[in-house]
Amino acid sequence: MESKREPERFTIAIGPQHPALKEPGSFQFTVDGEIVTKAYVRLGYAHRGIEKAAEQRNWIQDLYLLERICGICSHIHATAYCLAVEQLAHVEASARAQAIRVLVAELERIHSHFLWIGVSAHEAGFDTLFMYSWRDRETVMDLLEGLTGNRVNYSANVLGGVKCDIDGEQRTAILKGMDFLEKRARHYLDVLTNDGMFLQRTRGIAVMSRTQAEVMGAIGPTARASNVARDVRVESPYAAYKQYPVTMALDTRGDLEARFVVRVNELFESFRLIRLILDTLPEGELMVRFPRRVPAGEVVMRVEAPRGELFYFIKSNGSDRPERLKVRTPTICNITSVIKLAVGHQLADVPMILAGIDPCFSCNDRTVQLSHAEDGSSCMMKWEDLRRHGIEHYQGLCK
Amino acid sequence: MNAEEILTLASSIVSSWDWATETSRPNPKQLDVKVNSLQELVPIVVGLRVKRLGYLSAIVCLDPGPESKEMEVLYHFCPGDAVIALRVRVPRENGALPSLCEVIPGAEVFERELHEMFGVEITGLHTPDRLYLPDDWPANVYPMRKDFDPNVLSAN
Repeated sequence: MESKREPERFTIAIGPQHPALKEPGSFQFTVDGEIVTKAYVRLGYAHRGIEKAAEQRNWIQDLYLLERICGICSHIHATAYCLAVEQLAHVEASARAQAIRVLVAELERIHSHFLWIGVSAHEAGFDTLFMYSWRDRETVMDLLEGLTGNRVNYSANVLGGVKCDIDGEQRTAILKGMDFLEKRARHYLDVLTNDGMFLQRTRGIAVMSRTQAEVMGAIGPTARASNVARDVRVESPYAAYKQYPVTMALDTRGDLEARFVVRVNELFESFRLIRLILDTLPEGELMVRFPRRVPAGEVVMRVEAPRGELFYFIKSNGSDRPERLKVRTPTICNITSVIKLAVGHQLADVPMILAGIDPCFSCNDRTVQLSHAEDGSSCMMKWEDLRRHGIEHYQGLCK
Repeated sequence: MNAEEILTLASSIVSSWDWATETSRPNPKQLDVKVNSLQELVPIVVGLRVKRLGYLSAIVCLDPGPESKEMEVLYHFCPGDAVIALRVRVPRENGALPSLCEVIPGAEVFERELHEMFGVEITGLHTPDRLYLPDDWPANVYPMRKDFDPNVLSAN
């Protein structure tokens, strides 16, 4: 890299990461003292060739394959795939099935956002918040398990509908869970916007203007925190979002704090939506018959995953398996935008900037390589050490 | 703007290049634009961008197999409720496309993926390194092509 020719500069490589993550990556940051001057990303450490594998499996097998792309947002992958294939096959799931899809998707969003609050609080060194938010997340995990039988990879979808129904008992449990989580979310919003120590790590940091977000193609809550009104649930309602419209959570500030506020506000919207769906769940069959072969054609399906727009393209040649299946996950768009944003920031802010886009950062023993610019010598550091560096840096400022 | 208005606007932009494009409407929310001249790809994207229709959702490559001499690359723009797909054809052997990075910085990762998975050369890419494939992946082996043979990996 260029940095190796310039004296007194370090290239800091973060990653490769834990293979259990959806999109693990390696980041290289060139630093001048404490300031990041160059950022570079390298992905693929857990590339499993799922798109290729999907071409060799039939339509039903692919559903289970694609649901395993991500452990956190598995339901939304299955939903996108089912909606796309149903569109190709001219089959429409019943209104009840569509409403249950949305219900599970919103429960999944709650679980994902609570998880993210915890992860990014941990990166900031606020482990109390991390512990509490993950404790509260168990509430929604239990509800999902009660509803579908699984904590992750819920397998709620089938081609032509859903597998799980909601009875009175589950309804009561979900409503009770929502009341508890809403109370907790209010508390977190208070903490995230009033705790001085935490605000030092988030307020005014990694500011992305509206134009920057648009040009760099940021999506999801990351874009909405920069006042870019981009939410597939609103722009292009799928499943039952037409019957249950969503209000977009927007913020004009574009910094890390705004990304927290937008996500917590999305939680409130999810609570409202879930209560509304439970009150007005339409009657109907759970699934309709689905043909083994799907007519030839092409389809584009976009859905709003917890992290932003998820894009599916499927081409069928009329056989029992897809000719081509393309998945574009939201993290890939946000990583490019935020990696460019890191330039000019303190190295100590890097963990929070990366965590700010919610890139499925749920493990914390990644390795960091520090290489000296002049003699090429290098030493290994862990992600944990970089995180500690960030915390100590800001503690130093407090004294 | 609703999907119809977006697609009408997009059609009017593309109509400036009617000598190089063929448009069709596969469904009410989608506009397919076949771009027959690679030189016109970037100017058309600039045209969409200027009218705020330039949100690039994904780049998809379709390989019909070795018997075909060409592959098809689809640029999916998804403003609002509509989908605008720019479709270009590139030769399977030594095919090259101009990079969109100057117009859409976020296109870089999509183009790097397109290059290493399908072997489409991207001219003008700032960082043409590998994005997903391992460092020791053999040269000129493109895993997403239909005639990819996994045995070439064990041969090394």
